[in-house]
Amino acid sequence: MKGFWRERGRFLVVIVLLAALGLAGWSGMGQKSFVRTMLSGLTLGALYFMVAAGLTLIFGLMDVLNFAHGAMFMVGAYAGWQFYTNPTFLFGLAPLILALLTGLTATPLLQPVVVNWPIPERWQRGLRTALFLAALAVGVIGVARLDVLGLAETAMVASMVAANPLTEATPQEPLATFGIRPALLLVAGLLAALAQARPGDATQFVRRGAAWRHRAVAGALLALTVGAALAREAGPLAVLQMDANWRFLLALVAGTLIGGGLGVAVEVSLVRPLYVRSQFLVLATLGLAFVLTELTQVLWDPLAYQMSRPPLFSQPGKAESILAWFSQHTTTVNILGVTFPSYRLFIIVLGALMLLALGALMNYSRLGMIIRAGVQDSEMVKALGINVRRVFTLVFALGAGLAALGGIGAAPFIPVEPVMGDRFLMQGFITVVIGGMGSYGGAAAGALLLGLARAFGDFLALKFSLSPAISEASTVIIMAVVLLVRPAGLFGKEE
Amino acid sequence: MSADADIRYVLQVENIHTYIGQFHILEGVSLKVRQGSITVLLGRNGAGKTTTLKSILGLTPPREGRVLFDGQEIQGNQAFDVANLGIGYVPEHRAIFRNLSVVENLKIAERKKGDLDRKADFIFDLFPDLKRLYKLPGNHLSGGQQQMLAVARALVPDNKLLLIDEPSEGLAPVLIEQMMEAIRELSGTTTVLLVEQNFIMASQLSESYYIVDDGRIAHQGAMSDLAQNKALIRQFLGASVGGGGK
Repeated sequence: MKGFWRERGRFLVVIVLLAALGLAGWSGMGQKSFVRTMLSGLTLGALYFMVAAGLTLIFGLMDVLNFAHGAMFMVGAYAGWQFYTNPTFLFGLAPLILALLTGLTATPLLQPVVVNWPIPERWQRGLRTALFLAALAVGVIGVARLDVLGLAETAMVASMVAANPLTEATPQEPLATFGIRPALLLVAGLLAALAQARPGDATQFVRRGAAWRHRAVAGALLALTVGAALAREAGPLAVLQMDANWRFLLALVAGTLIGGGLGVAVEVSLVRPLYVRSQFLVLATLGLAFVLTELTQVLWDPLAYQMSRPPLFSQPGKAESILAWFSQHTTTVNILGVTFPSYRLFIIVLGALMLLALGALMNYSRLGMIIRAGVQDSEMVKALGINVRRVFTLVFALGAGLAALGGIGAAPFIPVEPVMGDRFLMQGFITVVIGGMGSYGGAAAGALLLGLARAFGDFLALKFSLSPAISEASTVIIMAVVLLVRPAGLFGKEE
Repeated sequence: MSADADIRYVLQVENIHTYIGQFHILEGVSLKVRQGSITVLLGRNGAGKTTTLKSILGLTPPREGRVLFDGQEIQGNQAFDVANLGIGYVPEHRAIFRNLSVVENLKIAERKKGDLDRKADFIFDLFPDLKRLYKLPGNHLSGGQQQMLAVARALVPDNKLLLIDEPSEGLAPVLIEQMMEAIRELSGTTTVLLVEQNFIMASQLSESYYIVDDGRIAHQGAMSDLAQNKALIRQFLGASVGGGGK
C-alpha cells in the first residue's frame, strides 16, 4: 500500500492543488471570470509547456541546463514571422546553409578513403586543425559582402509599413555572382568533413554498410541546394501568393524545422565538445543566448513586431459556439458565456496535441524507449551499442524545435522582439523544477500549474488592486512549496 | 597487426593504462581470453577490475596500450561501435533500466530487428522467472530478478564476448546457484570475462584467472592451481577467501 501511495502521491498533489484552485475560483469569482481566467491560464500553460518540454528532456538526458532554450523560442517566433510576412530573408540564406550542410554530410563517405592515407600520427592533429581553419576561411569568403541586412529588411518593411510585400521585392545579387557563394560554402563544408573523417587515423572503425544512405542524403541535400539557389526570388513570391492559412501552417512547419536545425548545429558545434567539461555548458549556452539575442537586434533592430493572425482566426465578429467558429472563423468565440479569442484556443489545442505526440513518441517508439533509458543511465545505453551521441543530437533538435514551434505559435499574440525568450526561459526553468527533471509529463503538469497560477494571480491582483507582481511571485511560491514537499519535483525520480 | 597464432583468443588486452580524471587507475593491464572459455578477474575492491571491463569496451578509454577483439584493434573507438562488434556488458549493481518494463529492457538491446524473438526461448530457458514478469516495470523486480534481467539483456543480440561484472553481488545463495548455472550454460555458446568477488563461484566456473591488484595484473594462471594456493588467495583476495559471499 505504501508503494501505491508513493507512486500515486504526485498525481494526488497535482489534483489537490488544481481542485483547491478550482474550488476557490468557482465560489469566489463567479462562472464567467472563472472560465475566462481558466482559459487564459491554459493558454499560458500551453506556451510554458512548449518551452519546458524540450528543456526537461535535454536536462534529463544530457544533464545540460540549456540557457539558450529561450533564444530558440525567440528564433522560432522570428522565423515564423518572417515566413508569414515576407520570407525573402529565409529564401536568401537557405542555399548557403544547405550548401554547407551538403559538404558536412560527406564525412562518412570520405572516411573509408582517407583513414588509409599515409599520414604520420604526429601530423594528423595538425592537419585536422589546418583543415578546420581552411574551412572557416573559405566559408567566410563565401559569405563576404552578402547583403544580409538588406535581406532582413524585407520582412521589417512589410510588417511596419504594412506595404504589400509582393511589391517590396528587394533586388538580389544575380545568380551568376551569387552562385559562387554556395559553391564556396560547399567546399568549406567538404573541408570540415575531411577534418572530421580523421585522415590517416587507421585505428578508427569504418562503419560498414549504409553507404548508399549517406550518398542519398548528400545527393538530396545537393539537389535542395541547387533548387534553393534558383528559388531565391520566385520562392518568396510563391509563398506570399498562397492562401494565408496554408502559409501560416507552412510557417509553423518551417519555423519548427529552422529551430530544430539550429538545435542540431548548436549541439554538434557547441555542446558536444563540452559534455566532459559540463560546468562550462552553462556559460556556453548562456553566451549563445546573448549572441542570438544581439544578432536579432542587429538584423531587425530592437523593435517589437506584431505578426498578423491568419484569416482562419481573424474574421470580424463572434462565433456563438466552437462549432459555429468552424464555419465562421471569427476572432472571438463564445465559451460558456465568455468571449475568448479563438487564436488562444488554437494555442491550447496545439499544446495538447504536442503533449499527445510527445507521449506517443516517448512510450511507443524505439527512440522514446532509448531516451527514457538514457535519462536514467546513458552510459549503459552506449554499452548496448546504441549511438547515444546521435540520440543526444536528436533530443536537442527535438527540444529546440518544440520551443521554436511555441515561439511561432505565440508570435500572433505577443510582441515579436529580441528579448521575448527570456521571460519564457525563466518560467520554463520553474516549470521543469516543479515537474521534475527529465519528465515530459511533469513538464506538462508544471506548466499547467504555473499557467493557472499566473492567470488566477492576475485576476486576484486586479480585483483587489494589488501589485501585479503578486502573480509573478505566485509561480516562485509554488516552486518553493513543491520543492519542500517533493525535492525532486512532482514527477521526478528521487535517486 | 595481430599474429595469426593468437586468433583463438577472442580478446587480448595489451598493457593498457587508464586514467579517470587525474587518477592513474590501470597501470599496465594485460590479459587474454580464450574462445569459448570463462575467464575470471579476481581482486579486492578498488583494484581496477571494473575499470578493466570498461576500458575494454571503451567506456573509460585507455590512454595507452592496445585492446584486440577478434584480432582487430578496438581501443580509441566509441563504446557503441565497440559493443556492436559483438560485446555484451553486464554492469555491476544490477544496472537495469528501472523506468523501463522487463520487455523494454530486453528490446532496447536489440541490434537487429527480431533479435529478441529469436533469443526469447533461450533466455527464458535460462531465467524462467523473467517470462512471467514480462510486462512489469523494472523497479518492481527484486534484486535477484534485476540481476537476471541484466544478464538476459546482454544475451539478446549475438555477442561473441560477454563482460560480466559481479553477478553474484548481494544475491541469496539459491539465486547464486541459479546464476552460476546460467553462466556455465552460456559458455557453450559464447565467451565470458567475469569479474567476481565470490571465490567459490569463480573457482567453480572458470578455468583461468587473473588477479588484479593496484591497477596491475598481480598473478595469473589456471584456476585449479589457484585453489590449492591458500597463501596467494589470502594475500590478494583477503576476506573473500573461502566464504560463500556474505
